[in-house]
Amino acid sequence: MNEYRQKSIWKNIVYYRYIYLMLIPVILYYAIFKYAPMYGIQLAFKKYNLQGGITGSPWIGFENFIYLFKKAEFWQALKNTLVVSFMKLVLGFPVSVILAIFLNEVIFVRLKKIFQVIFTFPHFLSWVILSSIMFNLLSNSGAVNNLFELAGIGRINFLTNKETFRFLLVYSEVWKEAGWGTIIYIATIANIDPSLYEAAIIDGANRWNKIRFITWPGIKSVVITMLILQVGHMMSAGFMQIFNLYNPSVYSVADILDTYIYRETFNVIPNFGLTTAMGLFTGLTNCILLLTANFISKKFGEKGIV
Amino acid sequence: MAAKYHRMKLFDVILILFFVVLTIMILYPFYNAILISLVSENEYIRTPFLLVPKKIVLDSYRYIVEKSMIFKGMRNTIFITAAGVLYNMFLTTICAYALTKDFPGKKILSYLIIFTIYFSGGLIPYYLLIKNLNMMDSMMSMVLPMGITFMYMTVIQRHFESIPSSLIESAKMDGANEIQILFKIVLPLSMPIIATFVLYYGVDRWNEWWNGMLFIKSVDKQPLQLILRNIVQDATTTNSSASSASGAMPFGDGIKMASTVISMLPIMCIYPFLQKYFVSGIMAGAVKE
Repeated sequence: MNEYRQKSIWKNIVYYRYIYLMLIPVILYYAIFKYAPMYGIQLAFKKYNLQGGITGSPWIGFENFIYLFKKAEFWQALKNTLVVSFMKLVLGFPVSVILAIFLNEVIFVRLKKIFQVIFTFPHFLSWVILSSIMFNLLSNSGAVNNLFELAGIGRINFLTNKETFRFLLVYSEVWKEAGWGTIIYIATIANIDPSLYEAAIIDGANRWNKIRFITWPGIKSVVITMLILQVGHMMSAGFMQIFNLYNPSVYSVADILDTYIYRETFNVIPNFGLTTAMGLFTGLTNCILLLTANFISKKFGEKGIV
Repeated sequence: MAAKYHRMKLFDVILILFFVVLTIMILYPFYNAILISLVSENEYIRTPFLLVPKKIVLDSYRYIVEKSMIFKGMRNTIFITAAGVLYNMFLTTICAYALTKDFPGKKILSYLIIFTIYFSGGLIPYYLLIKNLNMMDSMMSMVLPMGITFMYMTVIQRHFESIPSSLIESAKMDGANEIQILFKIVLPLSMPIIATFVLYYGVDRWNEWWNGMLFIKSVDKQPLQLILRNIVQDATTTNSSASSASGAMPFGDGIKMASTVISMLPIMCIYPFLQKYFVSGIMAGAVKE
């Protein structure tokens, strides 16, 4: 390798000519589908009209943003985004950790594998499929409500109930993703030195002691990294999920920024300038959060202090 | 592990019971959906909590075969999955291989690629782009924009880096160029990981509906899951009991569940057998994080 690095840059480029040839489709892909849309961001500062398009529409400065920040729906969507994300963090995040620790305690290896296959399965289905199943199960005449009726609780319309809808979002997210989330923890636990457990047994440690003093310290740093990364995703509360599950009667509690942007763009008289501005606001906030989270988690990872 | 010394204790029994309950909670919704797709409307209405069907009826599936767009959607989705995975694997493997080399400009390119996972143009610029590329209502709008998934690409890249360089050097001695090396040496040596990511991309493309909803207006070009979504979302707004009042109408819930079952059938059939490949993929991705 070194001998080529000594040579001039041109010789190097010639040497790697086939690599550049291979990269042409890759660069085209990123240029067209990832970078070209960024050119359209200027619409956030323009008053969009069909004739003008992206380039020809007149500049209006920050007017779109000023108008946006005055809209009550925007603040409601922002609040919903943060509240739903926060609920998923507090109620959903620990489930994977707890499941992984408990799965590790199942003594029959075969059974453990079967549980794992079952728990990770819903991850691979789309929200279209899962929402279809949930609509049926949770509707007024669905199985869950029939059971509630038999148990004397009475029927609850989960899909239109403002009080329960956010919990439904957390529950269904856990249903889909919690099992998949356990994989990283189970792998981390598998890497813990088995002699630690053996020594603990000799010292007379019980199950709880082993979890408390060996398993938990073993996965703690990974848990913290995952937690930080999830905080970094606060601005995306789950567009695909909410978009497939919500309906107008729960907009006040479940309409997040991404769903609001979608509706404003396609369902009413479109104001592309305004929705681009909203998208830019969301995208930038998201970007800052992600970079910060990544930075912090790398700090943790490198120094290993937890 | 130490199972030979381990006597079943109360804790183990409770733990297994707990996981069995969890299994039921996770799987019952799917079981319920399959069940409803297989019974008559009469039985569905009369049994509040269906567990075992008295009589299996295939009316809902018959209706789908005869009248619904589901199979047309499936044909479209099979095309999207096949074309999409080929396109994905082509772009992903050449990108991953190129990034294992120290060519001038590699750093800049890497940064430009990583930047796209933190920031994107957003929905409207994306929509206008597809419109300006004249891809509206074209099947290509569901294939071409979905090129490289960054996480998959980095895992493959790390795997390529682990291939002994002596193999590559000796091929170079024989006069092979980088393109030949990738396709004749590196890829054949990486079949397990390639297969894993064919599965990942396959599932992703199978679940396509979003681009379809944004860009495809003709019903006969829509992907399976978009057609499913339209069936499901449509009937939640219309009154479903109206269909049961007039006996001639088809069994709405049955048809919806049958459509759902058909949409998830491929994943349902392959997943239990290939789960370990899926897990190995995510594991390889987690190593460096």
